[in-house]
Amino acid sequence: MVNSKAKYVEVELEKYSLKPFDRFKRVMKRTFKGELFVGLGIVFREMVRFNIHTTQYPGEKLPISPRYRAIHELLRLLESGNERCIGCGLCEKICISKCIRMDTHLGEDGRKHISEYTINFGRCIFCGYCAEVCPELAIVHGPRYENSSEQRAHFGLKEDMLTPIDVFKKGAQKEYPGFGAPSPDADKRIKKTPLAY
Amino acid sequence: MSAYIIETIIKVVVVMLVFSALAGFITYLERKVLAFMQRRLGPMYVGPYGLLQVLADGIKLFTKEDIVPSNANRPIFMIAPVISAATAFIAMAAIPFFPEFDLFGHTVRPIISDINVGLLFVLSVGAIGMYGPLLAGMSSGNKWSLLGAARATVQLLSFEVVSGLAILAPLMVIGSLSLIDINNYQHGGIFDWLVWTQPVAFLLFIIAGYAELNRTPFDLLEHEAEVVAGFATEYSGMRWGMFFIGEYANMITLAFLSALIFFGGFNDLWFIPGGIAILLKVMFFIFLFLWVRAAWPHIRPDQLMWLCWKVLMPIALVNILITGIVVMI
Amino acid sequence: MKEITIFIDGKELKAIENEYILNIARENGIFIPAICYLTRCSPTLACKLCMVEANGKRVYSCNAKAKEGMDIITTTPEIEEERRAILEVYDINHPLQCGVCDKSGECELQNYTLEMGVDVQHYHIADSKKEIEDWGHAKYDPYLCIMCERCVTVCKDMVGDAALKTTPRGTEALDKDWKDKIPKDAFSIWNRINKNIIGRVEENNRCEDCGECIAVCPVGALANSHFQYTSNAWELTKIPATCPHCSAGCLIDYEIKHTDIENSECKIYRVTNDWNYVTLCGAGRFGYENKNSTTKCEKDFLSAMDAFLRADTIRFSSFITNEEALILQRLKEKRGYKLINSDAYNFQKFLEDYSKTSGSSLYSGSKRDIHSSDLIFTIGGAMSNDNPNIRFALNNSGKLNKASIYYSHTYRDKIIQTLSKTTTEIVYKPLKEELVLLLLIDSIVEKSSIPEVISVYLESFKEKRVKTIQKEIKEKVLDEEGKEIEVAKKIDEEVEYVHNTILDELGLAQEFSDELKKDYSSKSSPILIAGSDLYSHKRAENIARLLGFIEKHSNFKVLLIPTSTNTLGVSLICDLDKEAGDYVIGYNDIGDYRLSSLGDGDLDMPALNQQEGTFTTIDKRVVPTNAALPYGGYELNDIAKELGVFSKETIRYTKMLPTKSGFVEALFDELPLEYTNGGVDNRGYELEAKSFEAQNAIDAADISSELEGDIVYKRDPISQFNEFTKSSKLLEAKDGIYCSLEFLEKRSLSSGDLVELEIGKESITHHVYVDDSMDGDIVALSTFQSRKLDHKIFGDGYRYVAAKIKKV
Ligand code: SF4
Ligand code: SF4
Ligand code: SF4
Ligand code: SF4
Ligand code: SF4
Ligand code: FES
Repeated sequence: MVNSKAKYVEVELEKYSLKPFDRFKRVMKRTFKGELFVGLGIVFREMVRFNIHTTQYPGEKLPISPRYRAIHELLRLLESGNERCIGCGLCEKICISKCIRMDTHLGEDGRKHISEYTINFGRCIFCGYCAEVCPELAIVHGPRYENSSEQRAHFGLKEDMLTPIDVFKKGAQKEYPGFGAPSPDADKRIKKTPLAY
Repeated sequence: MSAYIIETIIKVVVVMLVFSALAGFITYLERKVLAFMQRRLGPMYVGPYGLLQVLADGIKLFTKEDIVPSNANRPIFMIAPVISAATAFIAMAAIPFFPEFDLFGHTVRPIISDINVGLLFVLSVGAIGMYGPLLAGMSSGNKWSLLGAARATVQLLSFEVVSGLAILAPLMVIGSLSLIDINNYQHGGIFDWLVWTQPVAFLLFIIAGYAELNRTPFDLLEHEAEVVAGFATEYSGMRWGMFFIGEYANMITLAFLSALIFFGGFNDLWFIPGGIAILLKVMFFIFLFLWVRAAWPHIRPDQLMWLCWKVLMPIALVNILITGIVVMI
Repeated sequence: MKEITIFIDGKELKAIENEYILNIARENGIFIPAICYLTRCSPTLACKLCMVEANGKRVYSCNAKAKEGMDIITTTPEIEEERRAILEVYDINHPLQCGVCDKSGECELQNYTLEMGVDVQHYHIADSKKEIEDWGHAKYDPYLCIMCERCVTVCKDMVGDAALKTTPRGTEALDKDWKDKIPKDAFSIWNRINKNIIGRVEENNRCEDCGECIAVCPVGALANSHFQYTSNAWELTKIPATCPHCSAGCLIDYEIKHTDIENSECKIYRVTNDWNYVTLCGAGRFGYENKNSTTKCEKDFLSAMDAFLRADTIRFSSFITNEEALILQRLKEKRGYKLINSDAYNFQKFLEDYSKTSGSSLYSGSKRDIHSSDLIFTIGGAMSNDNPNIRFALNNSGKLNKASIYYSHTYRDKIIQTLSKTTTEIVYKPLKEELVLLLLIDSIVEKSSIPEVISVYLESFKEKRVKTIQKEIKEKVLDEEGKEIEVAKKIDEEVEYVHNTILDELGLAQEFSDELKKDYSSKSSPILIAGSDLYSHKRAENIARLLGFIEKHSNFKVLLIPTSTNTLGVSLICDLDKEAGDYVIGYNDIGDYRLSSLGDGDLDMPALNQQEGTFTTIDKRVVPTNAALPYGGYELNDIAKELGVFSKETIRYTKMLPTKSGFVEALFDELPLEYTNGGVDNRGYELEAKSFEAQNAIDAADISSELEGDIVYKRDPISQFNEFTKSSKLLEAKDGIYCSLEFLEKRSLSSGDLVELEIGKESITHHVYVDDSMDGDIVALSTFQSRKLDHKIFGDGYRYVAAKIKKV
């Protein structure tokens, strides 16, 4: 949560004088004021207080923001469960690391289908452009940031990214308000085509 | 005679084992203490509270591949860490760790060899230890290593002077180089401690010691941000481990020396028996190492040299002068 | 062709009078929005986007001719508004499916919609339901169609099949109210779009699957079925190249991309062309699938070396680059191989004989000359099949220049009849070609320049005859009232005239000769096209000389169609032999040891789309081609290197092509490969023709021999040329025997039957199919499927053989 009251604080810095006498005074002050011991004191105090801030990952995990850009997901249409991706190739085009590749074909139903869709996560920089450009809200960044695996290709194939149909049927497909989603005022900004009939 | 030899060998083995293990354990302590001071937990997963982390690291060090860079000067590269570790342990030969005690009716003197120039021996062997980093850096065939080696030479040589001069003053007071004599000199309770009469010498000695041990705030030899890992850049596995053990062994040596020379050694303190007393003192010094590391930033090499030659050395000389005058009077 | 000065947007430009303003602007790099106009075709005025102001008046630049001093402004605020309205009209009910549309990224509607800044739609009407149609190579989506009619125009004006037409759309009529709310031109366009969509001509659809309509479609309405939804346009890399299938040597772009996610090897996804300047036939567009995937196998290479050491002859086809032809020539010089290539050998001889009487080492005509000619005479070739681009050019000049076409061949071609309003077909019997040429000479060449042997020979056909003609005479008679009036009266009169039996022989009326002469004298740029029947004719020598003679002594330019892709190049580069030796290496041809680009020989060779090099085209141009696909095996140069003919890469030979034959010393990498904005072929360089003293050494015809029985003609179906096009699965034309419907009925066969051809001692069985365009009794046998068959039946000789045809 962003604290709207928080303000930037400007730190007042001491004027730095180069006159010999000032410099002498400064050395004296530093030597005898015992600044070094202040530092020692602080760390000792913290040790004694034992006010530990560690999150013990992977035992504990912090919640992540919906705008977090982790491993991608391919979503399904809410009504039909069909794949949302129409194979327009915009994500492939916009990707600055050129790590998206897709194969498309003419489906039985006369529509364009994607046969395979891959993201090379070795190259992806998680910039989110693909999610941003997707006209179908099909490719989005999911919350999965744990990507160690014995295979480079893991996570990056269509079957890894596409919401499994059983998960979808359980209604467990998540929508992200974050990256790539239309802005809240999108409706207002669209100029409409009159379909008066 | 042979009993003496056997006893010495046993002592050597005990010292080696105990201090190697201690060196490892200190790393654990260091990580924990630093973590607490920085509001972290430190190692937690290996063993209860991460206690076995040391073991894990040890296994890792021992089983790691021993890599010798193709451009390195092979024999020297291989021998340099040995020098480091060996000198650290050799230096311990002249240190009396504890008061004498009886074991199965046999009086054990917990010193490997009580030579009458004990302190000199410790200091000089420590100085030889400088060849470790120097040779390591020069033989690695790596510019960071070379820079690290250069820094090591400059830093160790310079502070050798300071520590030598600093310790001269108490020696003048005591009149012996044997550490047992030094210890015995302070047997009269807390007020006999040399630190009261020679506070400046103590400060100089401890500062120089930090510098020679390459500890914060003088850890310039292998300062990551500047020279990667300095002389140790190309080392891995157990060879790197030897530098590491050497450094921690030296820390212990320094802690013992400080306790012995300035803080009453293993003389009984109030109700505390001497053996325990010295352990407490040593532990405090070790803690001080860590504490300082947690609190202070490190300084620049030029500041280090400035500090050595323009501040510490003159002070040491003045201290000797004053001590001399006082002793004469 | 007067040169004039005009001003476009204040820029002073030189132009040819009566050229369309749009073309002038394009030539000079000035942009005028335009969709419906196709360069080289007639303007349809369907899109009206090209409106400009000329001398203050609104004109359509694709249709307005430039006049001296014209001052043209390409855009004004009113024009801009009008164009915007037009674009908005185009966008009415246009499905928002750019995301999946094949055209996205290269769509003219998309581009102009953005260019004109259409972001709001003011007009609307309910659309009707229509079906997406499958036309084989093309899919037609009427929802996307913007009725620019480019497809219809190209098929009619360029291809010549006129297989497309407009049909009613079935939407309700526009509300009259709109008329006041919408600019005039935009409204008329809306009206048009709202009324029609595109359909195929149902009866006698002649579509030959050239795919040119797909190419010209500015939107995704006509999609290439084989390409549909396989890749976005922007993912493809264009490799400019030269089509390797026939001697027209069209400029094509191979569009390549990795095969799929698992296989990174490049694949050709489609072939596209710069349709304003180049028209492809089906083979060029769909015949790209032949490639040879192979790797180096040292054992095979060693066996090839053995073969080469043993061989004394190399037989090769003309589907070869100039560079490789030169390598073969060098091998001949070094190791004394005999080089056998029958079609180039015949062509070489033919060209030599032709030069003797024409005085020039090369023929004078080119494809471009056909497009701009107004009288075309063809002889000795099945133009539609042998070289589709010649057919396109015939059609184009027939349609646009109203050229008269004289098509002489051994059978009637029903497509040719439709190409021009004034098409005359001349049917001669095989082996009688000389007669036609002599008739031509008789009709158009100055009597004084005809050598005596010929004039005597020609006279021998002429006889004085008497014919009765009805003559109208005016007679003064007295009417009932006794007045003298004039009445017309017809009487029969006997007149003497010269009867030319050549005309009888050719089935022509006696007036033909005079009409031809009259036509000829009224036309400014006639051209004579000779096909490959002639090169292997047993009287080829004299035929060549006759052609040379015509070139020399008349206005006619002469164009000899090289038999296959690089026949001309090979004939200029190689020193060819007639008889093969004992052990023959066949390079894409028959032989004892075979090098093959199809992968069916003893050692693999790269296909032509895997090679760099140059071809010599029908236009006497040396044009470069590039490798579209990788090749992993050995090539001819590797063998040559081993045999001591050394050059690091094949393309280094480009510079060494023989200058004495007209080649120029030019580096391969410096050869341009493009058409200019003005549509001028700027690829490679043109061969330099050498001229010398011409002789009048022509002879009378020898028409004594005749073919007995059924006559079989060597001819491939349209868009099939060779084993390479055969291996392209997208090309569907089948191999077999083609005949006219009446022949089929006469022999009571039906399409698809197996028939046996007995030719001399050989006999083969094949399926028989009807070819709608054929007429008469001659049957055509395809040989593209097998060089062996060609060799067996025709023996590299004359394209006609006598045979016996039996049903099996
Ligand atoms: S996040 Fe960026 S780099 Fe990664 S696939 Fe998407 S566009 Fe490419
Ligand atoms: S942008 Fe979206 S719809 Fe288009 S191909 Fe990518 S994922 Fe599919
Ligand atoms: S034809 Fe053009 S505008 Fe229409 S959907 Fe296709 S790409 Fe988009
Ligand atoms: S494929 Fe060629 S012949 Fe057929 S309709 Fe299209 S342009 Fe005409
Ligand atoms: S199909 Fe294409 S070329 Fe033909 S009228 Fe429609 S938009 Fe124009
Ligand atoms: S280009 Fe002129 S009207 Fe279409």
